[in-house]
Amino acid sequence: MNFVAPIFLLFLAACTVLNRMCPARFRAAFLLAVSYAFYCTWSVGAAAVLALLTFAAFRTALAGERARAAGSSAARWIGPAAVVLLAAYLAAFKIALLTPAHGIAGLAMPLGISYYTFRLISYILDVHWGKLPAETSLLNFAAYVAFFPQILAGPIQRPGDFLAQLPPKPASAGAGWARIGLGLAKKLFIADNLGPAVNFVYAHVSSLHGAPLWLAFYLYPLQLYADFSGLTDIALGAGRLFGIEGPENFNRPFTASNISDFWRRWHMSLTNWLGDYVFVPLRMATRQAGNWGLAASITINMVAIGLWHGLSAGYLVFGLLHSAFLVTDALTGRRRCRFFKAHPAWDGPGRWLGWFLTFHAVALAMVFFRAPALGAAAALLAGLWSAAPVSSLAAAGFEPRNLHLLALGIAGYALLEAGERWRPDLPLAGLRHCGVRWVRWSFYSAAALLTAFGLALMLVYGTAAPAPFIYAIF
Amino acid sequence: MPKDYPSMAPTWQRMQHVFRDTFDDETLDLHPETTAGGVEGWDSLTHIDLIVALEREFKIKFTTAEVTRLKNVGELAALIDKKLPVRP
Repeated sequence: MNFVAPIFLLFLAACTVLNRMCPARFRAAFLLAVSYAFYCTWSVGAAAVLALLTFAAFRTALAGERARAAGSSAARWIGPAAVVLLAAYLAAFKIALLTPAHGIAGLAMPLGISYYTFRLISYILDVHWGKLPAETSLLNFAAYVAFFPQILAGPIQRPGDFLAQLPPKPASAGAGWARIGLGLAKKLFIADNLGPAVNFVYAHVSSLHGAPLWLAFYLYPLQLYADFSGLTDIALGAGRLFGIEGPENFNRPFTASNISDFWRRWHMSLTNWLGDYVFVPLRMATRQAGNWGLAASITINMVAIGLWHGLSAGYLVFGLLHSAFLVTDALTGRRRCRFFKAHPAWDGPGRWLGWFLTFHAVALAMVFFRAPALGAAAALLAGLWSAAPVSSLAAAGFEPRNLHLLALGIAGYALLEAGERWRPDLPLAGLRHCGVRWVRWSFYSAAALLTAFGLALMLVYGTAAPAPFIYAIF
Repeated sequence: MPKDYPSMAPTWQRMQHVFRDTFDDETLDLHPETTAGGVEGWDSLTHIDLIVALEREFKIKFTTAEVTRLKNVGELAALIDKKLPVRP
């Protein structure tokens, strides 16, 4: 089930109603049943594997905790051994994707494997480090691992955060559906209208030069942001329908004025995850090695982020470029900070320059993330500076209808940025809590009308067949 | 210095000094409930710089598990105090 498919929205609507009817003490069980039903529509075999891994991780954490309480030496290796096995399981499927036959013994890559193995690993490590007591309810733990809104593409919620919310509070259906609507609009209205132009340019890199290449260079980061943050909005909104609050994944990433600030705002749940479970242990182990230890820890961490998307040269270059940016940032940070403190007049221009450089560094790395091969990425970057006469998209065979959609997508993106800038101060939201009945109901009917109008607009102006979410394949 | 930690007064002052030096902020005031989110520039990178600086200042060693378990500055102060040799 795709998150934008009407059948998925109907499934969510049915779940909302059933969840409301369900007595509070059965809500965790209901959540588990719904999650496995969702997963089984994709593959029953893969659901059985997921159940098996969940059970194994549950017992392992309990065994590790018991060994620690008994002072046994097994406590030292049980957790790390389980983590190595889980990482090997994930790596095996990622490596198998490289083989021509695609898959291990004909098995396709299990849906959401990158996300659920990360959830299992964080649980095992949290218990191993004594951050979290081992969960005693298999039902609650299984509901966490299989939680269907987050299994396709995250966000990667931490076990402590999720388990503390069980049994779920009464659902906030209004807030949930509003967030889902926002996600659908970002996906169908913005990302899918920017997509055709980006796809066209990347498919014709060698025959284009100049302006169209710049267009793709600037548009792909915006498309990826609208697509992925839209997917996250749907996941967070769907979670709210069950009374579960998930972690935010984005915080206006393109406003960052340095590269480490960017990574604190982009795909936050993955960055924080790797920060806690890869970077901090590595950095602790290399902390006596000075700047070399710092550079090595950052590089390994960023290459891991790159290769988490898949084992390809493009993702590797993406990781290496970001390591180079981050190492430079970390090594010069203190000096820059002192300079701007001593020269406050430079603070404003410095911030703008920082923002400009950060956005271009991010866009540069994303060329390698998006391009089908290293050669295409190199051709695009070389073509940007080509002195040949400007080639036009239409002359190269790009459909004029798609040009109109592109304009719509860009306008939608501008609206999105403006909305994110001013949304917190939106005065209308307060009306919901107004005690006067006619004011409240005017608000409800206006919201319903706007939603219906928005849906109609999306059907008319959105792309006819929604493209798959970019992050749903990782 | 927080009044809930009178016995830690010297620890607290030395900690505050290390924090101010690491984050390059002479006005930084620590409270037991201060978390990483409340200090500008405190991320996973500077967190380890801070840990290394504290290890040097107090001549102690932290483990990865201890470093990841900490929830706020109060817990950090308690952990440091536990590791210091008992004062006469």
